[in-house]
Amino acid sequence: MSERIYVFKRFERFWHWSQAGLIMFLMLTAFDIHGTYTIFGFEKAVAYHTIAAWSLIGLWVFAIFWHFTTGEWKQYIPTTEKVVAMANYYLFGIFRNAPHPFKLTQLRKHNPLQRLAYLAILVCVGPLIWVTGVLYLFYDKWAAWGFGNLSLEWVANGHIAGAFMMLAFLIAHVYLTTAGHTPMAHIKAMITGWEEVD
Amino acid sequence: MKFTKTLSAAALLSLFATSALAYDADWKRGRVYYRSVCTSCHAVQPGGTINPSTKTKAEWATYLKADKHAKGKDTVKQYVSKAYRASIKSGNKAAEKFADTPDQELMDDIAAFLTKGAKDGDAPATCN
Amino acid sequence: MSHLFNRAALALCCAGWLAATGPALAEETKPEAKPVKLTTTADHTKFKQLQKTFNSGPEVTKACLECHTEAAGQIHRTKHWKWEYLNPDTKQTLGKKTVVNNFCISIASNYASCTSCHVGYGWKDASFDFKSEENVDCLACHDTTGNYKKPPGFAGNPVVKDTEFPPGSGKIIKGIDLAKIAQRVGKTSRDTCGACHFNGGGGDGVKHGDMDTSLAAPTKEVDVHMDAEGLDFTCGTCHSASSHDVAGSRYTPTAKDDKGARIRGKADKGNPATCVACHDNAPHKKEARLNQHATKIACQTCHIPTYARGGVATKMTWDWSTAGKRDAEGKHIVKKDAKGRIIYESRKGDFTLAENVKPEYAWFNGRVDYTLVTDKIEKSEQRTPINRMGGSATDGKSMIWPMKVFRGSQPYDPVNKTLVTPHTAGNDDTGYWKNLDWDKAITVGMKDSGHPYSGKMEFLKTEMSWPITHMVAPKEKALGCVECHSKQSRLAGIQGIYIPVRDNNRLLDTIGWAVVFLTILGVLAHGALRIVSARRQL
Repeated sequence: MSERIYVFKRFERFWHWSQAGLIMFLMLTAFDIHGTYTIFGFEKAVAYHTIAAWSLIGLWVFAIFWHFTTGEWKQYIPTTEKVVAMANYYLFGIFRNAPHPFKLTQLRKHNPLQRLAYLAILVCVGPLIWVTGVLYLFYDKWAAWGFGNLSLEWVANGHIAGAFMMLAFLIAHVYLTTAGHTPMAHIKAMITGWEEVD
Repeated sequence: MKFTKTLSAAALLSLFATSALAYDADWKRGRVYYRSVCTSCHAVQPGGTINPSTKTKAEWATYLKADKHAKGKDTVKQYVSKAYRASIKSGNKAAEKFADTPDQELMDDIAAFLTKGAKDGDAPATCN
Repeated sequence: MSHLFNRAALALCCAGWLAATGPALAEETKPEAKPVKLTTTADHTKFKQLQKTFNSGPEVTKACLECHTEAAGQIHRTKHWKWEYLNPDTKQTLGKKTVVNNFCISIASNYASCTSCHVGYGWKDASFDFKSEENVDCLACHDTTGNYKKPPGFAGNPVVKDTEFPPGSGKIIKGIDLAKIAQRVGKTSRDTCGACHFNGGGGDGVKHGDMDTSLAAPTKEVDVHMDAEGLDFTCGTCHSASSHDVAGSRYTPTAKDDKGARIRGKADKGNPATCVACHDNAPHKKEARLNQHATKIACQTCHIPTYARGGVATKMTWDWSTAGKRDAEGKHIVKKDAKGRIIYESRKGDFTLAENVKPEYAWFNGRVDYTLVTDKIEKSEQRTPINRMGGSATDGKSMIWPMKVFRGSQPYDPVNKTLVTPHTAGNDDTGYWKNLDWDKAITVGMKDSGHPYSGKMEFLKTEMSWPITHMVAPKEKALGCVECHSKQSRLAGIQGIYIPVRDNNRLLDTIGWAVVFLTILGVLAHGALRIVSARRQL
């Protein structure tokens, strides 16, 4: 039958959920600032967005430290192995109750597609948002930092594009958490740390 | 008995104080007090605002001399007094600003503004 | 004495007076060696020179000059006296003597009326002697009584004896006592500056919009600095004068002051009347982000949310082309709106007025080019700017400024293609305000200003910009973010700068939402398929 393995350590779970909360709050305030709707209004939304952003940066400092000291960063090294099999599973197998092609272990807790997706977020969307976001915050320092020729419009649009990508990721990510062997399995694991595997 | 004696002494004193200094009235200060203190109440009360230009110089002089506010229920002086200013100064910036101005000086200032702004004055004035 | 006082004070306390009255009374009654005035070192009532009857302004000035020997010479060097100014940037000769506007148009041939606001006596025509010392008017600026007046029509002279004016009209101008005024001279005040500057354009608040009689003793809401119950700034607090030359200029305004606060000992020829001169370049202590706004946006833009806030309406348009109508009896017409404000006069045409006006906004670098009577103008659909405000997003010298833009139509010579200077004020046959005859008025006026007139006239649509800088509101009333960061941005017309929200990229938004929408769609389809297939397998 099934066995239980401890995949998500306490810090990891804290990191994940506080990051999830912050990102969702950042999304909420982001589109308030963008003028999509009005909840806090531009002025307050900007203030909250800035506070949340700095909080997330702080969280990341801890998370990066944690990943390097525990060696967990290796979980994000991309692999081509079984990528096609994973894609096949999500596209076809999942509807035929086919077996999951990926066997989760403590050392490989992300499936190959997850690895690729998280890495993409980590090296593309993340930096895009962070770089543009920090530049946005320090707009008045550009000249002093030697970025005098930078265009605010490009920075802003880069930030907005990043936000849309992040939102799309968030939707897909939340949906795929239901793709465990039971719909709540992955979510439970992220809360308790224990994942049931076949 | 003793009480009335000392009160009249106080009155005498204040008279002495003003005559010694030969105060040169400041109509601009009077203007601010009239508009910020007098008008702030009169604007909302049944009597309504009273423009300085609604009375002649002589009428204002008579009014101030009679010193009867609200048809004699109280005095005009009372509303210019330090005590009154102290009582409203938390909500009235003019009262706060002139908190320490001697009563008689402020009264003279207001009189100067009213004389100047009267119907037949040098520059007939409104409340605003 | 002190015994008497103690008893009195005691009695007062007993009588239930506020305790505060006691000590204060004690200060008042302290005997002083000699009562002194603390506002000045010279009590002018004591000067023999001023203890006489003055029959004219120049007589007063002569008395002033006996002590203040250099004062007139100092005045002679100023714009207030010369009404002439050579703009060092544009090389244009400006000043009231030369410029044309779209209010009362021009002072040429209208001196006796216009020069009631000149700091001099007797400028009744172009022959005025600008070297005369006794014709300098000291009282216009140094009166403290508020009683000094120079009625229009007297070439800048006060009226000392009751005078019927205009002659035969039955209207009496009351004479004023110059000796009384001269004995009470003092520093300039909002009242003295305001006597002219509040009434620019011919009446209260007409011209500027950010200056009117509400600033004589304003509330904090109207002007946070001039607040009569608070900071109580006079005009001179910012427009500080040196050798009678008052700082600040409408011809060469300081649009961007990056020199920081002016402090003692700092060698600096900058303009002391700017916001930065006191507040420095980074005045927002709590919100650093606002300081970065201040690198592109003039302080006035956010801190003067609307102008004409003091209850006095300002003129927004003036259409001279409708002037000249008469009623059935051939008399001049005056129409007023519901609030009693004049909106039509036969003498002047149609006006519109407004209070609490949101400014228009423009890049401004301080350079102002005037359209003068000598400039050729091609009439077109577009309004001719009377003054062109220089500035752009990229010149490095511009800031976004609030402006009152005053629009109107005014007489124009279509043959010579120039603006004209009509003779308006004057109790004579050719004054337009009396006889409503443009041909006579323009012929005389152009002769006086020394420019050719073809004899043909049309009306030209013009506009004139007035940077808004007074009536700074309390900080709580400064503009909120969304006033500009929204689709209905106040800065809608400002080019060359990216303003978040105002300038959201539509294509990016479309693509972004499409990606999000497709993701949702994909997820829903995938989920639905999973549910369906799961059921099938049961």
